[in-house]
Amino acid sequence: MDGFKKRLSDSVQLRLSVTLSLAILIVAVVAGIFAFVSAFDEAHEMQDDTLRQVAVLFDRQHMSLRYPVGNEVADDNEESRVIVQYLADGSTALGNDDAMLPLPFPTTLADGLSTLNVTGEDFRVLVKTTSRGERIVVAQETGIRNKEARESAWRSLLPFLILFPVLLLVVGDLVRKLFRPIATLSADIDGRDEQALHPIDDHHLPTEVRPFVVAINRLLERVAQSMDAQRRFVADAAHELRSPMTALSLQAERLAATEMPAPARERLLPLKQGIERSRKLIDQLLALATAQSGSNRPQAAVSVHEVYRRVLEDLLPLAERKHLDIGVESVEDVRVIINEMDLVVLVKNLLDNAIRYTPEGGRIDLSVERTQERVMLQVKDSGPGISLEEQTRVFDAFYRSLGTEEAGSGLGLSIVKAIADRAGAQIRLGFTDEENNSGLCVSVWLNAAKD
Amino acid sequence: MTAAPFFAERDMRILLVEDDPMIGDAIEGALNDASYAVDWVKNGLTALSALDTQHYDLVLLDLGLPGKDGLDVLDSIRARNNPVPLLIITARDNLDDRLRGLDGGADDYLVKPFELVELLARMRAVLRRKGGSALSVLDNGVVALDLVSKLASTADSRDVPLSSREFALLQALLIRPGAILSRSELEDRLYGWGNEVESNAVEFLIHGLRRKLGSHVIKNVRGMGWMVSKSA
Repeated sequence: MDGFKKRLSDSVQLRLSVTLSLAILIVAVVAGIFAFVSAFDEAHEMQDDTLRQVAVLFDRQHMSLRYPVGNEVADDNEESRVIVQYLADGSTALGNDDAMLPLPFPTTLADGLSTLNVTGEDFRVLVKTTSRGERIVVAQETGIRNKEARESAWRSLLPFLILFPVLLLVVGDLVRKLFRPIATLSADIDGRDEQALHPIDDHHLPTEVRPFVVAINRLLERVAQSMDAQRRFVADAAHELRSPMTALSLQAERLAATEMPAPARERLLPLKQGIERSRKLIDQLLALATAQSGSNRPQAAVSVHEVYRRVLEDLLPLAERKHLDIGVESVEDVRVIINEMDLVVLVKNLLDNAIRYTPEGGRIDLSVERTQERVMLQVKDSGPGISLEEQTRVFDAFYRSLGTEEAGSGLGLSIVKAIADRAGAQIRLGFTDEENNSGLCVSVWLNAAKD
Repeated sequence: MTAAPFFAERDMRILLVEDDPMIGDAIEGALNDASYAVDWVKNGLTALSALDTQHYDLVLLDLGLPGKDGLDVLDSIRARNNPVPLLIITARDNLDDRLRGLDGGADDYLVKPFELVELLARMRAVLRRKGGSALSVLDNGVVALDLVSKLASTADSRDVPLSSREFALLQALLIRPGAILSRSELEDRLYGWGNEVESNAVEFLIHGLRRKLGSHVIKNVRGMGWMVSKSA
């Protein structure tokens, strides 16, 4: 019950539905009671009128009475019949049975309508003095009168009984429909990825919600600005770091060319490796900042094999050092729609990752395949692969698999993800060897170029 | 193994335009080590006046200069019809700057950070191209091919004679060491367009070359093609 109360106070939609339903219910009950009572009274008045009409008819036609003895009249119903008798005969009435006429009405009754208990049953009684001076009694059992009045009153309630549930349904549906734009809006915002900071379209929204949306749009704009500033900062910082890095590596290179004792030369190697690693990190930071920047780079139909070739030419020396068997499996080239530099950077990072994590003498396969409207690029290696638990986290910047000694920047897959997001591509991580859960297999789906 | 540096014939004078003292110092030192004569200036205007008064064999131009931007300096040089070979060295790696630089008349474009070896190699390539002196030997550090005598040399075997097809194939690969050439590209270069080529002709030639020079000379990239490695 508490849960319902909380939902009631939280949800405008629920509050509106419940309040409207309650209002309809109360109005329906009050109107129903009123209709019932008035229909009941109306029915009684009509029945009284009937008694009066019978009395008037009797008087005008100068009828005289003869009580049936013995045999009952066909189709007669003792309960619903209207009894007419002389008031004076009441005193000669035989007894206690209302089946036998005349009935024992008290002879002292005044003219007019009254309700009497005679022979243990209630009667509605009209006493009238006719033009001939006779006093007659016109009577009917109240039981049947009440039953008929009740029936007619219930019938007057019927429209309310039908109307009430229909109104409830209509109100519920109406409220839901009115709130639908808000539900659609929230689903729309919910479905956005974190880079999509464009303003919300407030054209089809009710005026009541619009100020809220305008405020959100202003917030989105501020967030976009601050994200942009942050990205620019990363890009600028990485850029600024390049010059001192260049100076450092050039000096180290010159140092290597000079005469020096063996121990000094030994220590120069790790120094150069450190510089190389920093240089790579700066490059990757710049690549990530570029990939994440909102600027739309021109897209065109790009040959995947051509990109594979460019990347392989770049990275083959690395692969050769580890004696990796690296190659392209697919025979047919496919063209995809993307910015060429983006695809080069994406493939380069995937391949660099594969080379880094595949042990000496391992194997790496590149392939591309067209599947209906989309194109699937795959990079498979014979390394350890990425466990299912880690697969969602490896796209985070600076995340590195546990237990790896590799000196990667930890940005490669973040860059891949950022480029894929911008190009509308999907990435899936899997295993090269599904049975033993080993080897990383990265699949990237891109849009195919029209032939 | 490597041929004697061809610039040893006479002293080459280089103009280095670089505002960063550490980088400038390192490059100047390295160029001196490689027996180039170097004039180092730190802004664009000084560079232009230096070019007016002195003949240079090559200009190394940084783009992010104080006062006059490197690309403007390039425009000024080319506007004066000065054909001096020019190599851009810059921290800007976006495609626009690169294209503007090359379209503006730069002969090559090197992005910081780079290695001295790479800088020297690019300088040699530019000087070679601009000097018009067609190089008579193609060399990637593993194999050297004499374009006149059509003899190939490796560390293990000197002056190996090649058939004309073998020579053409090795030459195609050595023009750009590190580049992967596909079978159809090699076929086009060996036989010209539209000629009937036997299906495994390229494999046959490569097999022959490897037997003569050693299997490490030509590398196969599965599914892509063949290459000779970029300087060992």
